Amino acid sequence: MQRDRIISQVGPALMLVIGLGFFVVPILTLELGTARRLGPGAFPALVGGLLAVLALITLIRNIRHCMGWEQPDPISVLAVAGGVIAFAFLTPLLGVLPAVVVSVLTTASAVPQFQWPGRIILAVCVSIAVWLIFVKGLGIPLTTIRGL
Amino acid sequence: MELVSNLALGFATAATVYNLTYCFVGVFLGTFIGVLPGVGPLAAVAMLLPVSFYLPPETALVMLAGVYYGAEYGGSIASILLNIPGTPSASVTCLDGYPMARDGRAGVALFLTAIASFFGAIFGVLVMVLLSPALAEFALLFGPAEYFAVMVLGLVAASVVSTSGAMRGVMMVCLGILLGTVGVDINSGETRFVAGLPELRDGVSLVVVAMGLFGISEVMVSARGATQSYATENIAMKKFLPTRSEWVRSIGPAIRGSAVGSFFGTLPGTGQTVASFVGYALEKRISPHGEKFGTGQIEGVVVPESANNAAAQTAFIPTLTLGIPGSTTMALMLGALMIHGITPGPRLISEHPELFWGLVVSFLFGNMFLLILNIPLIGLWVRLLRVPHYFLYPIVVVLICVGVYSIDNSIFDIWATLAFGVLGYVLRLFRFEPAPLLIGFVLGPMMEEFFRRTMLLSRGDPMVFLERPGSATLLLVALLLLLTTALPRRFLSWLRKA
Repeated sequence: MQRDRIISQVGPALMLVIGLGFFVVPILTLELGTARRLGPGAFPALVGGLLAVLALITLIRNIRHCMGWEQPDPISVLAVAGGVIAFAFLTPLLGVLPAVVVSVLTTASAVPQFQWPGRIILAVCVSIAVWLIFVKGLGIPLTTIRGL
Repeated sequence: MELVSNLALGFATAATVYNLTYCFVGVFLGTFIGVLPGVGPLAAVAMLLPVSFYLPPETALVMLAGVYYGAEYGGSIASILLNIPGTPSASVTCLDGYPMARDGRAGVALFLTAIASFFGAIFGVLVMVLLSPALAEFALLFGPAEYFAVMVLGLVAASVVSTSGAMRGVMMVCLGILLGTVGVDINSGETRFVAGLPELRDGVSLVVVAMGLFGISEVMVSARGATQSYATENIAMKKFLPTRSEWVRSIGPAIRGSAVGSFFGTLPGTGQTVASFVGYALEKRISPHGEKFGTGQIEGVVVPESANNAAAQTAFIPTLTLGIPGSTTMALMLGALMIHGITPGPRLISEHPELFWGLVVSFLFGNMFLLILNIPLIGLWVRLLRVPHYFLYPIVVVLICVGVYSIDNSIFDIWATLAFGVLGYVLRLFRFEPAPLLIGFVLGPMMEEFFRRTMLLSRGDPMVFLERPGSATLLLVALLLLLTTALPRRFLSWLRKA
């Protein structure tokens, strides 16, 4: 319970850090200008300051009346992130279509009901659809399979 | 006379085979997305953004708009048959639609839903045709101070409807505005917050933010909870037709629902869900069968559907004439226009008449397509509900990756999308709703520009925002909106203590 209360402060605290960052960085590194001719740092500093104040209020309110937080699902996050990472790594190495196949297989592992034959069929169908829609249909110059 | 020539121009633009094809693709995809609970129209529009880069602006908008209002039609199918709303605004339709289905009158409910949706949409289009040019002309009187104030009002409205509370909504808007400041400042040429990454000089891409926040994070949230499939029964065409009395009982509610929907659609931050709830509540109060609402009354299906479809059309009025998106999906539409170098605002109708009037006329075609898709082809969507839809999630992830990559062949953009996906997921964990962030992100750069211009013209006097009646009124409305949503609970507890 106490652990949940502490973890639930992470959200507002993160907002506070972001707000302070956008408030302090422009003051230190960008020109603020004058009231008449505002510099590039003025607006972000203003909004960053507002965010920091609101985050501080939310943090204090959250300490008094904890809003709680949702339990994360690490398997889902890892599988989906894995699918994106696979695409990012494999596209320059092998081309878009092999990357699509691996990405589908990786993401599908997030869904426990999805059996292997189904995953493979879907991966092949999606890569064909990507080729038809993006390469043939829209004419986008993508390297479908490197070296081919 | 001018209206007739404008509509003729619209027909010439929308009635080409090319635009009609994309209109059909849009409404078909929209219905598909609406039927299957899980991936919403927002994620679908976000996923199609990269595709729209390769289309002329009017075609891109016709397709994206088709997805948006097509989902409203599709959303009611699962509501009626399964008591699961396909879209948030269709949740009201569950109240009477599902009891009708359990009474064996699913066909009648689906038929009248399609007709009411069509009626509401056409009503909304008429309001749009009549109101938009007048509003755009009025908005031409706005100076930068008024524009800034309109944007503040739009952002406040977007944040107060946030389910996690007004304060958290405003924080998300601020975060969105700050993300919009990343890149080169157009006034001074200085780069801001790029952290030494040359890829960020042009700012963070709207596509990356939208795909990450609403695509990747949505899949992370939903994938593991995906249901196998839904058992639905076949619906015979002969069970579709309502009785004469049901037709008569539907006319009044359809008109009232459309009127309520048209009004709420034009207000920033409210949208279709509020429109359908208010329409339903109003009808329950004035209907002679009000006490039976919730038990399968035909009015309870007609009102929310006409309201949400009218609202879906009139939501384009503030977006296109003022440049103020009333919802996150509208913010994406606005972004799609900006990507094509078109600035939405009061000059859009006069500078790009083919785009505006072409879009308006495409709504008529799109709604006719939807009528066909939702009455004779209803069996197709009913069968779709039986297909296990967990297979959608890997497809969504891959389409996001390919879509983002196809814009600039940039792997950096893929990593950035993943980063925004994780950010969106973390924000949801801590009960921060990411939707207002996107509206802030789209409006932020314009807001900064108008703010700086106002300060320059007023010689540095910030009181100008309160001295000009237009901006003062708008800011006062924004403040009242914030206070009425953020304070009551605190006031009540304070009063109780006192």
